[in-house]
Amino acid sequence: MRPSKKVVLASQIIDGTSMDPLKDHAVLIEGSNIVKIAKKIEIFQIVENQEYDLLDYTGFVLIPGMVDCHTHHNGFGDGRLGDEIAKIPDEILTLKSASNARVALFSGITTIRENGPKNKTMFRLRDSIQSGKEIGPRMNLCGSPVSIIGGHMGYFGGEVTGVFEVTRYVRSLIKEGADYIKITQTGGTTKTSSPLLPAFNLDELEAITKEAKKFGKLTATHCLSTEGIINSLDTGVDMVIHGVFKEPDGTDKFREDVAERLAESRAFVNPTLHVFRARAWEMEKLGLQRKLTKNEIKLFDQHRRNFDQRLIDCSKMIEMGVKVITGSDSSWGDYKLGNTIHETECINMAGYSNFQSFQSVTLEAAKALDMDNSVGSLEVGKKADMVVIKGDPLEDIGNLRNVFEVIFNGEIINRGSKDSNMSYIQSPP
Amino acid sequence: MIDNNYDFTLIKAGLLVDGNGGNNLHKASVLIQNGVIKFVGNQESVVAPEGASVKVLDYGDKTILPGLIDCHVHLNGIGDGRVGNDLVTLPDEVLTLQSAKNARKHLYSGVTTVRDCGAKNNTTFMLRKAVEMGITISPRLILTGRPISIVGGHLGYFGEEATGEVECVKSVRKLIKQGADFIKITATGGSTITSLPFRPSFTKKEIQAITFEAHKMGKHVAAHCSSSEGIINSLDSGVDTIIHGYHVESDETFNYRPEITEKFIKNGAFLNPTLFQGRKTVEVLELKQNQGYLTRIESEMLETAKYRNEKISEIVSKMVSDGVQLACGSDASWTYYKTGDFQSEIFAHVSVGLSPMQAIVSATKDSARSCWIDDKLGTLSENKIADILVVDGDPTEDINNLRNVVDVISNGEVVDRENFI
Repeated sequence: MRPSKKVVLASQIIDGTSMDPLKDHAVLIEGSNIVKIAKKIEIFQIVENQEYDLLDYTGFVLIPGMVDCHTHHNGFGDGRLGDEIAKIPDEILTLKSASNARVALFSGITTIRENGPKNKTMFRLRDSIQSGKEIGPRMNLCGSPVSIIGGHMGYFGGEVTGVFEVTRYVRSLIKEGADYIKITQTGGTTKTSSPLLPAFNLDELEAITKEAKKFGKLTATHCLSTEGIINSLDTGVDMVIHGVFKEPDGTDKFREDVAERLAESRAFVNPTLHVFRARAWEMEKLGLQRKLTKNEIKLFDQHRRNFDQRLIDCSKMIEMGVKVITGSDSSWGDYKLGNTIHETECINMAGYSNFQSFQSVTLEAAKALDMDNSVGSLEVGKKADMVVIKGDPLEDIGNLRNVFEVIFNGEIINRGSKDSNMSYIQSPP
Repeated sequence: MIDNNYDFTLIKAGLLVDGNGGNNLHKASVLIQNGVIKFVGNQESVVAPEGASVKVLDYGDKTILPGLIDCHVHLNGIGDGRVGNDLVTLPDEVLTLQSAKNARKHLYSGVTTVRDCGAKNNTTFMLRKAVEMGITISPRLILTGRPISIVGGHLGYFGEEATGEVECVKSVRKLIKQGADFIKITATGGSTITSLPFRPSFTKKEIQAITFEAHKMGKHVAAHCSSSEGIINSLDSGVDTIIHGYHVESDETFNYRPEITEKFIKNGAFLNPTLFQGRKTVEVLELKQNQGYLTRIESEMLETAKYRNEKISEIVSKMVSDGVQLACGSDASWTYYKTGDFQSEIFAHVSVGLSPMQAIVSATKDSARSCWIDDKLGTLSENKIADILVVDGDPTEDINNLRNVVDVISNGEVVDRENFI
């Protein structure tokens, strides 16, 4: 039997609550929890004459396990549409989800909020993890998103209509194990849906949020147009996803009044910037291999402009005090899991300081999921989820990619070979 | 990862055990092109065509032998002692995850081909599809999907119970349509609660209908037989592999029947005796006993298993010395025997009278023959698929060296055994 106590040393400890790194400090883990963070000398005095494992990461930076507020474990990140993913049998999607879960964990993401899989695939994966048969990060799950008929992600199994059906569906999701309720309040990439139009009527949306609240569950809405954001604000939704400011005719129009309401509300915004850029990156890479067709050049231009617009809007939101967090949206579209930091970097580009960006993928992300009592920072009483990285992320947020070791629930994760961990890395063109 | 930069791969090793059972080759080389063995010989004689680009894998004094072929796995299994009746209550998604995990573990331990002898619903077919999609990696999969069972018979809970010749034929056709490579039947009961392990299940006519249909489609048939009557029914009906094959009468007494051995030899049928399965149970329960917490049921189970292991070893030894050919299959992860340890079953073959070399053949060439894949796999010879195991030490001297895995090569490519994604 290994001793249940571990002392973790690092040259710097960025605990997630303060900009000032702790030096000459150590973290004491007992079982799966952090029990003490103090000067090394003090920690060693505590464990004197006791059995413990010493994890010495001198030369490295210790940070909290990271939190990605928006993942799709069913996805491939190879450009295929959700409509195509939905055709794959549940067993196979569960296998893909398991692989994506390991990728996330190996890349330093110790908590994920899954944003919509097919049927019960993620619940089944979590069952396997909880019974010790699989490994994966902590999971905040929603099951199949609540969608209107033909709405975004309706193909995953959650199409409902009217107050009665939506209420019943929310209850059944909670029975299955949902930790929060995801609603697609506008259309999206789903072929039969309309991204510029709202999905549920206000009475339906209100019924969903009300029922979720009754059971203490948070809600999150997918919004690819302004009307969806307004609906979400009107019904007290806790997280607005994408948060795209677009008029019903498709024109980009940043609505300061709506952004102001967002800033004043308790809602977090998950701007999913990189998923827009990921398409542009792929097209650019294609362009390096061969000449793009006229149509492709047009699309490439569109995607780039779209990303630029999202970045500008996000900057404005940040300036107005909207709470923005990291949620990668991978593996959706062209964005593969294991690359969450691309999104954090985009948020950084949009105006968050390095520390704010760091918090957007640690403590603030945990707050957005209402999980900050157990994860998101290195504090006594929280879960011993931590990542050892090379380089100071407060100097360059990109250093969050340089994962050297992942400690999850107080245990070192065997991440396997370097080659295998390179296989999911997506680099800029 | 396929390395397309080279025309050939040249593997060098101090010793080559080709799987045929003949003399070992010292300072040997294998030349591979597109995943297929092109030439095998000593290092001086094996050269790539002039001008071709060659990737050299020099294993120095290590030994190469064919990738191991485990002709009996249950990828659905968890190997924590739970019985099939409990296993089957898990959802298909969970069982598919478990199958992927077992498959990977087996591959990393040196098994490059497995024959799955029964899984719930479509779980193993789904695994195969996921492998084809590049979602996960596994050894080559020889699948039956669901075993065909009588109503309430052994493994019937996996979803393919059939009654009468017509239904049996229908089951065979349905499984083949879904992608079955062979047909597994349960010709006696087994650990399944509603089944009778010491009684036959299907009638000869039913088994004949199954073997006729399977053979017609070019598929072989393997039958689970935990008692004598079932073995006789199966061998009389043209079954190709007998699994377990214990000579037990309906009153549960072990009784060696020479006529069974004669039928084996006459038919050229293989016996997959699954020896380690019961020994593992004893190992696990004795460990528990030493730790002092065996339940009454477990105590009884331990005594029965010990007695049975002894009798089974006696009977299988007799069959071997009388000329029955063995095909090595672990039966993992059934009951307590977890995947990743096929070697233990190979060692068990040595314990019933096979030489280390013969045991290796039973887990390579003969296992391939029993799976009807020996045209492509099972030996290191020209035009076979380059599935190769690299170990430290000579396993024909000391069979334990099979555990010293250095590399696993599948389709001519070194498997990254540290890939957990």
